[in-house]
Amino acid sequence: MIANYNGIAPKGDLILLQKLAEKLRSRSFLHVNSTKEGGGVAEILQRMIPIFQSLDIDARWETITGDAKFFDITKKIHNALQGNMETITDEMWEYHFELNKQNASTMDLDADAVIIHDPQPGPLVTFKKRGTWLWRCHIDLSNPVKDVYTRLGKYSGKYDAVIFSVARFARALKVDEFIIPPSIDPLSEKNRDLTQEEIWETAEKLNLPQDRPIILQVSRFDRFKDPTGVIEAYRMVKRYNDCVLVLAGSPATDDPEGAAVLALVEEFASSDPDIHILLLPPFSDKDINALQRMATIVLQKSLKEGFGLTVSEAMWKKKPVIGGAVGGIPLQIIHGVNGFLVNSIEGAAFRMRQLLNQPRLAQTMGERAQESVRANFLITRQARDYLAAWYASENKGATVLELT
Amino acid sequence: MASIATPFEFKQCMGILKSTGKKAKNVKELCNYIGSVSDESIFHHTYQYFLKEHVLEYTNDFAHWVGESLEERSLSEQLSNVDPYDFETIKDVRREFQNVITRYLEGSPEPREARRGDEFYFNETVTLVFPVGIWVRNLAEFLMAMKVIESGSIYYHFYEARVRVQEKVDDFSRWIAESLGNEDLAMHIRSIDPFMHNVEEIRHHIADAVEDWIRKDMERMVQSP
Repeated sequence: MIANYNGIAPKGDLILLQKLAEKLRSRSFLHVNSTKEGGGVAEILQRMIPIFQSLDIDARWETITGDAKFFDITKKIHNALQGNMETITDEMWEYHFELNKQNASTMDLDADAVIIHDPQPGPLVTFKKRGTWLWRCHIDLSNPVKDVYTRLGKYSGKYDAVIFSVARFARALKVDEFIIPPSIDPLSEKNRDLTQEEIWETAEKLNLPQDRPIILQVSRFDRFKDPTGVIEAYRMVKRYNDCVLVLAGSPATDDPEGAAVLALVEEFASSDPDIHILLLPPFSDKDINALQRMATIVLQKSLKEGFGLTVSEAMWKKKPVIGGAVGGIPLQIIHGVNGFLVNSIEGAAFRMRQLLNQPRLAQTMGERAQESVRANFLITRQARDYLAAWYASENKGATVLELT
Repeated sequence: MASIATPFEFKQCMGILKSTGKKAKNVKELCNYIGSVSDESIFHHTYQYFLKEHVLEYTNDFAHWVGESLEERSLSEQLSNVDPYDFETIKDVRREFQNVITRYLEGSPEPREARRGDEFYFNETVTLVFPVGIWVRNLAEFLMAMKVIESGSIYYHFYEARVRVQEKVDDFSRWIAESLGNEDLAMHIRSIDPFMHNVEEIRHHIADAVEDWIRKDMERMVQSP
């Protein structure tokens, strides 16, 4: 399976991945999160677990189960960790722990290494049997609500190490903190090359015009993605450049706020026939792929962001991306080189107009964007980093590890 | 060209980044933390700066941050002028950075603070070193390899070697001198200024120097009776 990435991923990544896999061959590697569909974490794990298995690592993926009350609590925790005031009572914290305790009683947590993804299953470490346990946080923790961070922090101290997506998300903890950005799989349905027929098929299915430039944002319907801000920017651009706006998103089972935000966006769009709001079913990967390839410009105008995988997806397809200067987006976009970073609706509008009027600039940026993703944000790099974090955790104190 | 007894094995290094949890929001805090963070953190922000894909007009992360985030151009120039390879120990390197900053602060108005989210985050790396499966025995093979190896390999052998090797020279020139007996070419490679080029430019300079030497050597052989 790794051979499939020859000529796509950097050779050094593939060699190191194999060297690490040789060291960790036949050992068990468990990943736990809260949903198998919707959102970037599930998407990556779907692709990464088979890669580990193909390298003779005994990798498996489990999800915790929870009810609507549980996911409502965890969404509040998520929002609070991103700096939004939320009320989380002692009873809610207790419920969060008890659901995890119930899950621990039915799950097989026995493994040489375990990665727990995000706060939902965070308390599972309390029921650790053995092995190296790593807590992987995808959330922007740069400015959390203090009480919520403190309550959750009592779990983080029980892990052998913690993983963040971006250095600025890390906190001063007593355990090792690795910085591992997420990634995309260039061979997945979301990112593989498509024929022009496949792209047209999606355009026709979704009733999208092909005779005018398309401005696209692909995200969950979440207020931190600023969908109404995108509409405002589009309206500024529309005065001078005829174009179409597409806002496309899929629901995530662990996000109870999505429906409300979608309704808000539809109302704000005010029945403009050139604004297409698409709620795609889960696993609409090929359609999203086609949307990104048919777009002239891609936006990710987030106000808060963990990493922003859609940015790398679009960059991989050689699209110039205009991203909010938050979270992991500045890690992917080098301003003015392979995309633009903006801090306001006006900034987004300005860059949209600039790219629409300078197609050569857009093309050059897109080409650089693809090479930047190849070097830094492919799944082979992230798989390598996860194995490296595991290996380094078992060789604590070593700053240089030679692999023969 | 005759085969040689000691082939050169190309290796590559990649780092997995670790946070120290420390961040500086202004120049004074930067100076204080430079004095207290681990040796690995100083190493990462200075010696390992050249592992990055793109290099602006800076030579270390401290200068980069001071110049880009704080817009203190004069201080960033002075910090960029600190060559870590001039010093015997990391302790000496950190002391030099602190001296530069202290002198600057004594003679300048109080610099502004970084915007929230734009602070300097002190990181370090765990470096993984691995062979890339390429061995070369002579200059012709060396030239071919230079064209295909990745930038992480160039960095490991040209930059990191200076810290690893007792003589404080790069691996390439050392092999060319010791195993091939070619001191002239070795000196030429050692004269390439590591601060004035990014890794890809280093690759081209070395490849050009080797190719030039091979061509001249072939011309000498043709002209010899």
